[in-house]
Parts: sequence; structure tokens; C-alpha cells
Amino acid sequence: MSTAQPQVPDVSIEDRLYTVKYRDAGESHLGVANPDVCTDCTTNECAKVCPAAVWTVEEDGDGVPHIAYENCLECGTCRFGCPHDNVTWEYPKTGGGVVFKQG
Amino acid sequence: MSANGAESLQLPKMVSETPDYNDAYDAIIVGAGLAGTAAALTMAREGLDVLMLERGPAPGTKNVFGGVLYTPTIRELVDIDSAPTERYIAEKRFSMLTADGDETAVSVRPGAWRDEPHNDSYTVIRRRFDEWFAKQAVEAGATLITETTVTGLIRDGKKIVGVETDRPDGEIRAPVVVLAEGANSLVSEGADLKESPDREDVAVSVKEVFKLDRDTIDDRFRLDGDAGAAYHYFGDGAVGQAVGGGFVYTNKRTVSVGVAYRVEDAAQGQTPEETLDAFESHPAVAPLIRGGRRIEYSAHVIPEGGADAMPDLVHDGAVVVGDAAGLVLNNGVHLEGTNMAVESGFHAGKAIVSALADDRSDEAALADYPRDLENSFVVENLRHYDWFQQTIADDREFLFEDLPRALADAETEYFSMDRTSKDEHTDAARDRLLEAAGGWFGAAKRAWRFRRMLS
Repeated sequence: MSTAQPQVPDVSIEDRLYTVKYRDAGESHLGVANPDVCTDCTTNECAKVCPAAVWTVEEDGDGVPHIAYENCLECGTCRFGCPHDNVTWEYPKTGGGVVFKQG
Repeated sequence: MSANGAESLQLPKMVSETPDYNDAYDAIIVGAGLAGTAAALTMAREGLDVLMLERGPAPGTKNVFGGVLYTPTIRELVDIDSAPTERYIAEKRFSMLTADGDETAVSVRPGAWRDEPHNDSYTVIRRRFDEWFAKQAVEAGATLITETTVTGLIRDGKKIVGVETDRPDGEIRAPVVVLAEGANSLVSEGADLKESPDREDVAVSVKEVFKLDRDTIDDRFRLDGDAGAAYHYFGDGAVGQAVGGGFVYTNKRTVSVGVAYRVEDAAQGQTPEETLDAFESHPAVAPLIRGGRRIEYSAHVIPEGGADAMPDLVHDGAVVVGDAAGLVLNNGVHLEGTNMAVESGFHAGKAIVSALADDRSDEAALADYPRDLENSFVVENLRHYDWFQQTIADDREFLFEDLPRALADAETEYFSMDRTSKDEHTDAARDRLLEAAGGWFGAAKRAWRFRRMLS
């Protein structure tokens, strides 16, 4: 066992997303089916599972997540992460959304 | 009908009205990834007119995978020597990491892998490979249209007779639709051809690509020429409290680093970003990427439900292939998906050719596809390792925490340099391992549970 602490990488989600190329589709391809379900939700799995900080729930808000769809990597994790099946997810239209170069 | 296929590889101009493609094609392929392109290529070679619809600006722009493509089937379809591969796999390394910084690894570098055909294992970048592969299909006569998203299927009664797209007047009809839309199979799910997979059966993967000099990569990974390395990592030093693993793959001038673990574990609060951070900063991993510049961050879900979670592969007028059909194998040692995607596309393509030769496209006429896939390595491997994911999940604490730690302790003990005899160190090392495994009885029980890895 080593006592050496691992160094935490000096990188933020903003740094990471800055490396990603997007074409803005102009409208969100993500949403919630029923906002009331979000208001009653206390676990916010959407925010926990998303690798791209798309879903954020404000502490003192109505519990309905803010959706930064333009960050979306189209990974689909939120589709499965939400235990209430309350995430609506479509493909961005006409070539919009993430454009991976190194996938 | 597909004479203009080559031109359609270029970015389409703004189209205000979709040309009338109805019944111009024998088959429509939803998604120009590896499964879809393998199907298109197989059919085009047999003289069918096929239309590939890709939602991204080019094939490979929406695709993320770890990094190693196994090419035995692709080799049958195209000239692999002209493919944009990165490096062949000269070394596989399996490594257990503890969160305390310990590493125990096994490295495999068979001399035979250095010789052609390099065990048909190459790192590739999907953006380059998928576009090249799709181009081979276009050269064989297929038509490719990009920036076009299929939004639904058209039915005539029960039978699927075409697709709806996001283009103006974007309905296109054809006798067969190949659903090669990937892990997020919205069209198949929307048309009730399959259910959305359960959360427990889906993994999330995040990956980062680091730019390094070619020489630096060669030196760090002990490589030369086109040789490359595939490192796989397990244990709580790789993915914390989750069930999954980490990976490091060498490309020509970049290194791909990532983790993949159950969405279930992410939902419990272990976020993908934190997990990647911890893996990248592990003392066994950090030096491999030190000084590298991050050039892309990416993420994707992986269907890991195995054979049990496979949907019906064939319907009246449609087949489901690749990730959309859940064709991914993860048994800890073997991580495969793209080869299974190609194999499924190939069998689906053949089945469609023979069905259309009889002027049929109903489920029974397409049944060669599920039958041939069932008899191929794809379903055989999925069935063989169907027990694996659940067994790993059930024994997570032992496999991911106790065992890596006990191994590290035992190694430390066994190789300890002091004035105690080797005998005593050996005894102490053995005791430490036995303690972790639950004594001789526990060790035997676990050996029995995992016997199928070798059977």
C-alpha cells in the first residue's frame, strides 16, 4: 500500500468539451416527458450519469433539470440513467450535433 | 440507380426537395457504421441497389469505440491492406489496479502477432475507418446519403415498407430496411421491433484521446514500426466501486484512454468524469499519457445484455444488426463488438440477397440471417459468456477490491527484501491470498464459478 496521493488531473469538463466539435442543430433534441416527475425526483440520476454536464438540477429550483443540449455527446446514457423513463431523446436533425474526429 | 453513389460521399448541398427515391432501391440501410456498411457492401456486390442513410456529416462522425477492430470478416469483404488502420496489436496487457496505487499485470506479446495478418487486430479511428469502409460500399455500387436522419419506419399493415426521414417529403420506400443505427436504436424501439435495454444491461464509456509524438509512444509502450498495444485494466483503481474496466490503446500518434462501466453504477453517484479522472491519475496509467495534449473527449453507451437481451433480429421487411441488436461481447478478457457488427451485417446482407431473389422480404424469407448468425461465432460467443456479467457483478467486491489488494500485498510480501527467510515470506504471501479468497474452500468455490473462462 502506498501513501502517495494520486494527483487529480488539472482538467475541467469545460476543457474537455472544448476539444469536441459540434454543429449546432438550433434546437434541443433532449427534453423531459413530464416535468412533474422531475419535481418529485430527489435522486437526479440524469445529472449523475451524464458525462458532458448537459443535465443540471438547481438546488433551490423546481427540480426540473436545465438541459445544455449543445454540450451533448449523443452517448445516450441519460436515456438509461433516468429510472423514471422520463428523458425524451431524439437524434439531432439534418446532420446537427456532435462531430467526432477520433471516435 | 446508384450510379451517382460516389458523388453523394461529398457533403450534400441544402436540399429543399428530396428526389423521388421510392422503390428505386432494393434495401435501405439505417446507419453507415460497420454493421450497415458490411450489409450494404455484401448486397451491392451481389448487384442489389442499396441506399445507406447516415445521420452524421460523414460516416464515423457519430461513432465512438474503445479502439481495437478485429478484421477477419472485413478482410473477406475488402482489401484490408489499403484500410486506414493505426497500429496492429503486438501486445495485450491485463492489469489489476487498486485504489492505493498497486498494479499487477500480465503481458502477452506472441511473436506470431508481429507477422501478417497480425491476428486481424488493429487500432483504428472510426472517423477515418468508417468513411473508408463506406467508400468501398459506394465503389461497389451502393448510394450513401449523409446528414439524413431516419425518424421512423413506414408500415403497410404489419410489414415494414420503408423509412421516414427528416428531409422534406422524406419518405423512402424499399422492400427491406436494415436497422444498423447503433446502441441508441431509436428507430427500432419506436417501431416496437425491440424494447429499450434495461439499465443493468447498459454500460457507459468515456474516452479521451491524447496527442503524443510517435517516438514517445513507441518508447513508452516498447513498440516499433506499426506495432501497437492494447492495455486493459480492472479493479477499483480502474473504475472505483463500479463494475467495468479501463483501457489504453495506442494509435499512430495518439493514445486512447477510457473507462467503461455500468450505467447502474453511474446512477448510484460515481460520475463518468470522476471515474475517468481517477483512472488517468492512477500511478500505473498517468506516466503513459504524461505530457499528452487532449485532442478529443467522447462518450457512448454500450449494450452489454448478451444473448439473453438480443431482440428479434428479423421482421417482415426489416432486419436488425450490430449494436442495435445488442451484439457486444465483454467477458473481461475479450472486448468485442465491431467484428460482431460486421459479421451480422454480412449475414443479413446475404439473407436479403437470397430473399429478394425469390421476390420476397417477409420474416420467413429473411430467416437465413438469424440462423446464420446463430451458427456463427457471434451468438456462440455471446451464449458461452452469458453467465459472465452477472457473476462478475455478484462477486464485485472480491474481484475488484479484495483480490487486487491481496495480490499486491502477497507480491510485496513474497518479494520482500529483509532478513526473514524466503520460506516465511512465501507462507505469509500464500496466507494473504487465501485469506482474501476465503480459504482453500473459498478459493476452490471461486475457481469452480469461473471455470467456464477456460472451458
